[in-house]
Order: sequence, then structure tokens, then C-alpha cells
Amino acid sequence: MFPVIQTLGLTKTYGSKDAAVHALRGIDLVVEPGEFVALIGPSGSGKSTLMAILGCLDSPTSGTYALDGHEVQGLAGAELAAIRNEKIGFVFQSYNLLPKASIVRNVELPMLYAGVGGRERRERAMALLEKVGIADKAKMLPANLSGGQKQRVAIARALANNPKMLLADEPTGALDSRTGAEVLQLFRELHASGNTVLLVTHDPSIAAQAQRRVEIRDGLVATTVEGAA
Amino acid sequence: MLTGAFRERLRSAFTEVKENLGRSTLQALGVMLGVASVLGGFSISDSQRRRADEMFVKMGGMDKLNVQPRALAAEGQPSALQQANLGLRELDAEEGSEASKGAVKGVSVQRNARARVRSEHTEQERMVTGVAADFIPTNGYEIASGRGFSSEELRAGAPVAVLGTEVLSVFFPNGDAVGKSILVGDVPVTVIGTFKERVFFFRKQPGQRNQFRRQNRILAVPAALVARRMQGDAYRRMDRVTFRVPDLNAMEVFAKDLGAVLKANHRQQDDFRLDDVAARVRRNRSQGDVYNIIFMLSGVLSLLGGGLVNVNIQMASLKERVREVGVKMAIGASGREVFKEFMTEALVLTLLGSTVGLVLGVGFSKFITWFLGIPLYMQPGSFLWATALASMFGFVFALFPAWKASRLSPMEALRYE
Repeated sequence: MFPVIQTLGLTKTYGSKDAAVHALRGIDLVVEPGEFVALIGPSGSGKSTLMAILGCLDSPTSGTYALDGHEVQGLAGAELAAIRNEKIGFVFQSYNLLPKASIVRNVELPMLYAGVGGRERRERAMALLEKVGIADKAKMLPANLSGGQKQRVAIARALANNPKMLLADEPTGALDSRTGAEVLQLFRELHASGNTVLLVTHDPSIAAQAQRRVEIRDGLVATTVEGAA
Repeated sequence: MLTGAFRERLRSAFTEVKENLGRSTLQALGVMLGVASVLGGFSISDSQRRRADEMFVKMGGMDKLNVQPRALAAEGQPSALQQANLGLRELDAEEGSEASKGAVKGVSVQRNARARVRSEHTEQERMVTGVAADFIPTNGYEIASGRGFSSEELRAGAPVAVLGTEVLSVFFPNGDAVGKSILVGDVPVTVIGTFKERVFFFRKQPGQRNQFRRQNRILAVPAALVARRMQGDAYRRMDRVTFRVPDLNAMEVFAKDLGAVLKANHRQQDDFRLDDVAARVRRNRSQGDVYNIIFMLSGVLSLLGGGLVNVNIQMASLKERVREVGVKMAIGASGREVFKEFMTEALVLTLLGSTVGLVLGVGFSKFITWFLGIPLYMQPGSFLWATALASMFGFVFALFPAWKASRLSPMEALRYE
């Protein structure tokens, strides 16, 4: 089996030569299937840039990135969109649900882009909402849900197309500690049932929940710590 | 597969429209008003023209060509040649009707006079219409009581008359005229029949005058009678000759042939005037075309305005939608998919907008024609024009915002505040 993530010398430079900002200076990172990895680092460390590249939302300036065995650097927008759709499930700090669409439609949307038929879409969306424990809210709008519930919807949506990995960017950043802990618990359960989880955070106590912690500093991998803290 | 994807997109566009009802209504408003204005304008102008056509048909058909004498010398003495001409004669009518073989289906001849008319009730100065040939059917008259002229009476100039309703009511207030005598000038004439009343109100509204009131003032006698005993001359000149040519396509050729025949009869002088009723109708129509162009222009302008408003709203809402587009892209929508979504939404809005616009347009035309008092006449073509224009504008003005949205970078769109 291929590693889910395998990068070699990833760099990202913003701006022109004179005022160039080197956000990433050569990241080598491997994430195997079924791992629960935390990317940790202070703000400005380059972890957001790395997460954007790993999420195929952005392209590296140089280096290679193989996602599930396929090199993705230099692919065109439409191909990247297809990869995001099939292989990556995003969970954002600010949930990023479509505000005017019902909960169930939010969860259906990735399947819509994947070309899943209407009935199957609805069934799977309902099953996922069941899984994250908010099937009873399916017809509601996101605005009627609490933060924790919204994040559960976002997780259900991220799981919609059975992605190779869940990419969570500060998923508890907007939640109080109790709901945050519940959401983290959900991630641990997903990990336990075989999902690969990559969690980006600046909070060491949250990172401590992961199997492995990779610290990013000044655009480089500073340290890697194995085992739950 | 493709159609399935399109159906999905259509469905989510509908959902999208429903989810953003306020914005969608504003976007569709331009299309609605544009369609209503094009359809309404066309229909009102069509109704008006249709009514005008109806009037011409009621006047005795559009398939007529009138010949009337014309004074050649505008001022001063006419030349010897001009004076030597014998004017419009029966010969012209006879030869004219053979000008284009078989084209002429009826000829009517008129010789008018003014005379004092006396009955046992009244005495008045009146216009007397001397008629010949197929005058009665050609000009749309029908006999109400008694009978029309026999060909023998017309040929011999018998002292007989047929009266229009107005003449009847003035000279015979008790209504009983057939068989009675009147004095036209100093000629005693027997009334043999009366014409049906002719009525046409262009608009069905109180206070409107009967367009055909002049036709009811007719006092018809044989043209030969006028020529011989009232206002005749040795050459039996005519005041008007009318040819009926049912085949409107043959009219143009006939007019040319007739012109040649008459010119030969009139020593190469143009002392006559051809008046083609169909040409008059065509002229009226082309005036109507001008109105259509104006209406179309106003429709196009409102569509243009609506389109620009639409782009404006879309661009404004694009800002509000940037994050939404970012999210969609993050979960797997390609730029092309976003473009298609925007276009499908525009299509749905255009369709809904045109439907409402068509309904508005029908209502609008109904109201205006009701207000004018003419019957409403709508052509399928107007519906097509209105919808086609709206679709075109809807499409063109959707392109820019859709393109703009499709070019967003998912990363920046997600971070957009």
C-alpha cells in the first residue's frame, strides 16, 4: 500500500525575487494509511501553507508530493478539484458550511460533484449524519445548530466520498473546551475505525491526542514525536 | 450521463434560487420587465394593425385599385394638349379591366353630382353618387330592402335610386321608401331599394364615431343618369373607376399594365391617379413596423438595463458568495463546475423571469387594448421574440460573473472575509 502522503523537499515561496517570502523550505513528510498525525507549529511557521498544499488547494513551488501514490504537483485545477473531491475530506475551523443549504444538502454536496445519484446520495448523507449523531437535524439550516453540531456536519461532509484522509485545520479552534473534546473524541473514533487523520493545530494539548506529532518551524520539519503524549 | 449531470445541476440551481429568493427575484426582474415590454409592445401594435386591416376589409376589401382624375396644371391655364384630354371615361374602365388577363374580377364606376333632393318630407342639398358596373359589391354595400340596380337600368340610366340609411332617415322619417318618388335636381327618381347600415367602430368605446358614417349618406343612382340628366358632358367623364383584383400578387403587374393602357388613352398625359388600397395598407403596416422597432428597442433597452443590474447584483453577491465558491471548490467543484453552476442558475432565472414576463406582457396588452377598446390580437412570433431576446441577454450577462467565479483560487476564496 502507498503512503497517503509522501513529500520530498516541498518548498513554497511567495512574492518576487527581491521580496520573496519562503513559507516552506523543504518539507519531507510521510503519512501512512491509518495514521493520526498532528501538524503543530506557531503561527507563521508555515503549517497553514503546508496544509493548503497537502489539501491540493495550492501548489508547491518545488519538490514532489505524492497523494496515495499519485504525484499531484503541477496538476491542473480541474484534476486537483477531482482529487480534493475523492481523496481529501476537509474540516475547517470555521466549519465552512453553505449557510442557505440544509444540513443534509451540505453533506450531499461532495457526492453531487462526484456524480453520485440522487437517492444514493441522500441515503449515504443520512447514514453519515447518523454516524456523527445529528441525523435529527438533517432538514435544518446550519444557522440553527450549535458550533459543535456544525463541526459534526462538517465531519460528515468530509467523510462523504470515503476520502483517503481527513484534513482538519484547527477543528476545535472555535469551540469551547467541552465540545472541543467531544469533536476530538469523534476524530479518535474515526481513526480507530481506520481513517487517516491529519490534524493541524497550534495547541500542544490537542496535538497530544494524536498518534504522532510533527512540529513545523520556519518552514521546516523541526521534530517528530511518536506515541500518544 | 451528461444529461443526468445537467439535471442534477438544474435541480441544485432551483434549490439555489429558492435558497436565495430575494437576490434571485432582483436578478430576474430585468428579464421579466424586458419580456413584458417586448411582448406587450408587439401585441398592442399587432392589435392596432389587425383592427385597421379589419376596417379595410369591411370597407370592401383591400384588393382594390382606384383610378381618379387628376388636374395636370397646378396653376394657370392647362396646355392645349391637356385640355384636349377627355378625362376618365367608360372606355378606361372597359379597357382597363382587360389590362392584365383575368386579373380583374370586378369593376366599379362612379360619377358624382351635387343636387337638390326633395321628398314629400324634406328638401336638402345632397351628394348624388352615380354608380355603374359592380359598384355595390365592390364597395361593400348590401341591399337591406327592395332591390339593387339591374344591368339594364345601369346601361340605360333609368331614373331609379337606392338610399343609404342616413338618407332614408332624413327623407323618409317613417322608414317606408321603396316605391316612393324623390326629385333629384329636376329629375323625378323612383326609390327601388335601401342599403344596410354600415357600422365600424375602431375602438369599442362610448363617444366613438362610426367610421363608416359617410357610407350611410349615399344616394345611389345609375351613373348614366347622372351623366345624361344631371351633370353630364358629351364624353361621359367618370369621377372614379375601381378595379377589384383578388390576387394581391397580381396587383402590382396590373397597376403597371393599367397605367400603360390609361396613358395611351390619355394622349400620354398623367391626368389620372392610381390609388392602390393594398399599397395603402402596406404603408400603414410599415408604419406599424416602425412602432414594432420602437417597442423592440424599448424592450432591448430594458433587457440591457436589467442585464446590467443583473451583473451588478451578481458581482455584489459574488463577494458574498466567494467563500461559498471556495467551500465548493475545496470539496471538489472544479472551476468549470462552478462556471456551469452559475450559468445554470442564470438559465433557471431567465426561464422563470421570462415566464413571469410573458404573463405580465399578456396582462399588460390586455389592459392597454381594453383601454383603447380594440380586440387583443397576439401572434406566436411575439412570444418567440420576447423569449429569445430575454434568453440571449440572460446568457450574455451571466457569462462575466460566472467566468469571474470560476477563476477564483480555492485557497484565497476560503480565506476571503
